[in-house]
Amino acid sequence: MAYFGNNPQRGELQELYADLNDLNFEKKKEAVKKVIAYMTVGKDVSDLFQSVIKCLEFNDIEMKKLIYLYIVNYSRQKPDDAIMVIQNFRKDVRKSENPLVRALAIRTFGCLRVPKLNEYLIEPLKDCILDDDPYVRKTAVLCVPKVYEVSPDICPPLLELLQKLLEKESNALVLANLIQSMREIEVVSGKQIINLNQKIIQKLLLAVDECIEWGQIFILDYLATYNPQDSKQAEVIIERTLPRLSHINPTVTFCAVKVILKYLDFLDNGDLVKNLCKKVAPSLISLLSWNQPEVQYTILRNISLILQKFPILFENEVKVFFCSFNEPYYIKYEKLDIMVRICDSKNFGQVLNELLIYLNEADPHFVRKTIKSIGKIAITYDKAIDKAVSILVEFAKNVQQPTEPVQELLIQMQLIYKKNKSMYKHEDSLKIIYSIIDYANEPESKSACAWIVGEFGEFIPKSAEKMKEYIDNFQMEDRLVQLQLLTSAVQLYLKYPSQCSILIQQLITSAKDSFNPDVRDRTYIYWRLLSTDPEIVKTLVCFNSGAVQNFSKDLRLWETQDLVVALENMGSISNLFHKLPHQLYKNIKIKINNQQDVKIYKGEEKQEKQENQVQAQQSENQQNNKQEQQQQQQQQQDIDLLSFDDPPVNNISNNSNKPNLFELI
Amino acid sequence: MISSIVFINHKGEILVYRVYKDDITRSETTQFCAKIVATKENKECPIINIDGTSFIHITIKDIVVLATTKVNVNVAMTLQFLYQLVKVCRAYFGGEFDENCIKKHFVLIYELLDEVMDYGVPQIADADLLKKYIQEGGLKPELMNDVEKLKQLTSQATGATSWRPQNIVYRKNEVYLDVIESVNVLMSVKGTILKADVAGSIQMKCLLSGMPECKFGMNDKLLMQREPRKPGQTTTDKGITIDDLKFHQCVKLPKFDKERAITFIPPDGQFELMTYRITENINLPFKIMPVYNELGKNKLEIRVKIKSIFEKNLFGTNLAIKIPVPKNTANVSTNSAIGKAKHEPEQQGVIWRIKKYPGDFEALLRCEIDLGSTTNQQPWIKPPISIEFQVPMFTASGLRVRFLRVYEKSGYKPTKWIRYITKAGEYLHRL
Repeated sequence: MAYFGNNPQRGELQELYADLNDLNFEKKKEAVKKVIAYMTVGKDVSDLFQSVIKCLEFNDIEMKKLIYLYIVNYSRQKPDDAIMVIQNFRKDVRKSENPLVRALAIRTFGCLRVPKLNEYLIEPLKDCILDDDPYVRKTAVLCVPKVYEVSPDICPPLLELLQKLLEKESNALVLANLIQSMREIEVVSGKQIINLNQKIIQKLLLAVDECIEWGQIFILDYLATYNPQDSKQAEVIIERTLPRLSHINPTVTFCAVKVILKYLDFLDNGDLVKNLCKKVAPSLISLLSWNQPEVQYTILRNISLILQKFPILFENEVKVFFCSFNEPYYIKYEKLDIMVRICDSKNFGQVLNELLIYLNEADPHFVRKTIKSIGKIAITYDKAIDKAVSILVEFAKNVQQPTEPVQELLIQMQLIYKKNKSMYKHEDSLKIIYSIIDYANEPESKSACAWIVGEFGEFIPKSAEKMKEYIDNFQMEDRLVQLQLLTSAVQLYLKYPSQCSILIQQLITSAKDSFNPDVRDRTYIYWRLLSTDPEIVKTLVCFNSGAVQNFSKDLRLWETQDLVVALENMGSISNLFHKLPHQLYKNIKIKINNQQDVKIYKGEEKQEKQENQVQAQQSENQQNNKQEQQQQQQQQQDIDLLSFDDPPVNNISNNSNKPNLFELI
Repeated sequence: MISSIVFINHKGEILVYRVYKDDITRSETTQFCAKIVATKENKECPIINIDGTSFIHITIKDIVVLATTKVNVNVAMTLQFLYQLVKVCRAYFGGEFDENCIKKHFVLIYELLDEVMDYGVPQIADADLLKKYIQEGGLKPELMNDVEKLKQLTSQATGATSWRPQNIVYRKNEVYLDVIESVNVLMSVKGTILKADVAGSIQMKCLLSGMPECKFGMNDKLLMQREPRKPGQTTTDKGITIDDLKFHQCVKLPKFDKERAITFIPPDGQFELMTYRITENINLPFKIMPVYNELGKNKLEIRVKIKSIFEKNLFGTNLAIKIPVPKNTANVSTNSAIGKAKHEPEQQGVIWRIKKYPGDFEALLRCEIDLGSTTNQQPWIKPPISIEFQVPMFTASGLRVRFLRVYEKSGYKPTKWIRYITKAGEYLHRL
């Protein structure tokens, strides 16, 4: 406590200066500690450099460590002073019999990061790489990337030495550090440094059994980037990796899962693949209930990737993703997301029953997402739509306030009606939804309401009056709502020409001078069409909602061709954000996937397969059509690949735009 | 790899700041402190990206332990490393980890940070091992000058059995085994089991001399199928199905993978030998049956029946059943034949505590609740009923330890002790 005082005033620095130069050892040591404390809180104590390094004369290892810490911190600012320490380092490295001291010296030496000092470092570093003591070697190998970062030009002899060491090193920990260190250099230089051969792979696999947990991770992480030459080699590596699935460190297990999954693609033997999947699944599920929520979160963020490439792993396992009441929300969101992805034509009932419970959660944002998920399931699976609507209607019955979930409810109901218009009869849904229509207060939900009023005008009592209410406030509305109002009002007018003629007049008057060109254009188009041939308008505006877009694309997070690269990077930051490494880090090269087809591992049911095939074909056709559109959209809006919440705004406006576009042609 | 490790207090002040790579500036970290930690936004997600820097962090009590990086690191590993770091600190500070300790021991923390990570790459981070060569106030000079001992130390630290030093001697050799099972259950409103699993842990305390090799066996179905039947012996115990097992680093994993045999050279003292997960044939020790009755606008009646489903000669201990009640609860009267039930407003529930609960027994709690008037129109969102308990000498999974054999050169026979206990994990019944 005593060390964390106020700012060092001039006087205090002088005091420290005096103490550092005191003859009493204890006093010096206290002063050094104080200096470090100041450094921690971010105060500049670089002026004391000379006095501090003088204290190195004492052979006290604790003090030595503190001083080294100080030097590392300020060496860049005071390169000339730092030169004075070089002799100390060299002496420690060469003469000390204590391996801890040798390692400490070489470790700190590497951290100085002053280019002109590095040349003094090369020889001692070479000695350390060849040191008898594994502790010194493991430290020395990590020193090479430090030097490389600052002075790559003097490093070639060191790199040679590393490659030699890779071939003959027998200590597992040194080997693990060596791999990590060479990978670091690969990242900085952008060149391949590690030359693998059969023998080295064998050694690495052996080392996995023997080294500390972090070392196991380095090696497994590295192996995941390697492409085996043939099925036999892949089999050997998988076999040696399998035991890691039982390691208590979840990251080791997770890396092992990664290696195994990656190498599955290279196996010829189908039965073996199935067996391996059976072995991997339980380990992966255990990881999901790991008691550190942060770790659980990182694994959950990778599940959608695994799910997309290996649906077989989570067959019948949807329960694993049920949320617990006390979990942090960041976990709940992930689980919800995954539950929607894992949902299929068989387990939707189970999923919907679970989602029903979440509607009672306290966090409105989470409830909103739950409603969105229910809507998504309803739209994706024909069989699920009845149950989903029942749940949403039940929720609507208890609505008393214009909350966030209510907005989503209205949006989702619109989408469901678009998909299947006859749903309005189910459980009196239209009546109940209409009763809460006034709670809409977001542009999207309002536009959904306007759509409902227009589309179901004939089933809603006094729909024209409701429309008038909307049109009275036309000027205040968001552009999105205005566009929808135009279409919906015209729709209503076609249904009740006599009742709505004044309404349409009023609408055209207020919309024709809009500042927004979209709104203005649409107004004029409708205006002219209505005055020339209302029949055409009818075919355009009252379009049949049966053929609504295919939604299954939404459930896929990754582009199929990216799956292999993403799999290699499982667990990394880029994957956590659902991106490829080069999308997040500019210095990483784009890795091209050489495999022609990406294998997808599905369960065995034939029926499902057929269904899927048909679906896949359909979606392919539609995809081709949609792709161009989508690419444009992505360029324009740079849609965040990450978010499950792709803006529904675009969909809606596009759909309602379609008929008009036709007209223009 | 990792650019820096930072300890931050809840106000967003930096307590410890250690840089491993040059690519990060202090101001980027202070920005994170001011924007994220001080606003509590860090609770929302364990990893946050700001302008190309990733901030990966965990929160232990009030302390945020942060790792920063600018490259594509393995996040799970980083998080685990942070947890390990805290574990190491606790081992040095006698189990404590708070602002005071950190300030008091900051020199030691820097020394540790220097050792557990090098150039952002995690290194040896095992507290027992670190204590051999890092001690507060410096090492004894005898060790520093004894080259032989130092060599032994570094070879242990980098060797294949880094967790156990040579030459341990005990006068009396003893092994303690604790099988601890946490039962996680989620029951639906109707009382059907939505999900149930057992998260088990086997804790071991070894006071053994030399380099003992241990072999451990449970009634694991897969293992028992492999064993040859002795002639004339008929067993009804077919064993249990274990979904997944995870082992301490001392267990020889390849051997387990091939033969399903658990063999290991244990560390000295206490450690967690393994954890396991079981989802089949779980014996739930308790069943709850709640009934909520709304008697008019201001009155609520809750009846909770609880039943123990284990043998009569066993006992459940320290039961605590938390029955949620609405926020506007004014008065609660409770009635039960056993234990004590009390309304605890800060927990928003009635807590029914029972010290000792016999096996195969049923008890009922009746609560009458008067509700105060409230302006809040929102319907009450009922959290699930949760229950805590312990049942000694019982395993929900049916797991039994069948043997623990210890082989050591000197051939001693250790004394072995074993305990079982089943606890409630997340034992929830939805309402």
